[in-house]
Amino acid sequence: MKTRDLVLTALFAAIIVVLGVIPPVQLGFIPVPIHAQSLGVMLAGVILGAKRGALAVLLFLLLAAIGLPVLSGGRGGLGVFVAPPAGYLVGFVPAAYVAGLVSERLVRAGQSGGRQIAGFFVAAALGGIVIDHLLGIVWLAQSTGMGFSKAFLGDLAFVPGDVLKAAIAALAARAVMVGYPLLPQRV
Amino acid sequence: MKALYVDRQTWQHRLPPRLKLIVLVTVSVAVFLLDRPLPLAIAALAGAACYFSAGMGLREALRRLIPALVTIVAVALFTLLFQSAAEAVTALLRLTALMLFAGAVTATVSITQFMDEITLAATPLEKAGLARAADIGLASALVVRFVPEILGRYEAISQAQAARGVRPRALATLMPLIILTLRDADSIAAAIDARGFRQP
Repeated sequence: MKTRDLVLTALFAAIIVVLGVIPPVQLGFIPVPIHAQSLGVMLAGVILGAKRGALAVLLFLLLAAIGLPVLSGGRGGLGVFVAPPAGYLVGFVPAAYVAGLVSERLVRAGQSGGRQIAGFFVAAALGGIVIDHLLGIVWLAQSTGMGFSKAFLGDLAFVPGDVLKAAIAALAARAVMVGYPLLPQRV
Repeated sequence: MKALYVDRQTWQHRLPPRLKLIVLVTVSVAVFLLDRPLPLAIAALAGAACYFSAGMGLREALRRLIPALVTIVAVALFTLLFQSAAEAVTALLRLTALMLFAGAVTATVSITQFMDEITLAATPLEKAGLARAADIGLASALVVRFVPEILGRYEAISQAQAARGVRPRALATLMPLIILTLRDADSIAAAIDARGFRQP
């Protein structure tokens, strides 16, 4: 890993922390807050690519685990990794990896803007919604004993918000690609 | 950023950090193997004893517990509604016990001690040539250093946009924030290499 890649990884982890400062929205009937931090995770994958994106998220989770209040609402510590929504948190790492992997396959420099945005959206949705929610549901069902079907139903409440986030991530990723093309310089 | 570590000297602070982490892992496995209320209640009480004697002061200790307790109570109510009362009590006690033990470890293991444990855990990776343990510390330090900087930049961008009459939208602020931040990467990397912080 070159120093530049290490710095990019660290800077993106810092961006994810900053996105957590925007207060999360509680829906009330299911115990998982909606926050802009998962948007940051999608962005890490689609902008930095699979490896650097997943490492940025891993670094962010590492700082949370050792007791820095980097999670949305100033939370942190080891407790968040055993709480009912912990699956969504741990799922951020494979989510960023998959989002990066898919966008590396789908999006190329010469394509039209619309196709690039569509590619980024598919990548962000596959990683940030399918993969992350899958892990979230598994842990929610296992840790609370509420069963998969109920955990799945509760999870559905968060899908619309995350689809919106995937769309924002796609638009932002395309803008970053035009403004500062990082994707071609993969590790 | 103020760490959640509490700088006091209690009996828990004096225990070796590795021992505390091993106990935490053991407890997390154990509470999922137990499914009767009585042993789980004992675990929760033991957790509470550790948590409230970790030197935080009652007010701070309760403040930290609230977000976690809200989720746990919500889960317990959900279980009560759709399953049995016994299962609701089990879920409530189990998750509370976990939360309390984890909170105690977080309050009594300092960032430095954690970094030492992580460096030790990364040694096999380093031997396999997959990662460098020193890089983990450098990357963590970079994040802590740049969070206030990026926050300041976020403020500057939103104020500039407000001055120009742009309505605040997530995307409009996010794009310049990311581009401006990532553009710094080259000069930061050059500065790190120039000072020899990282062996090539």
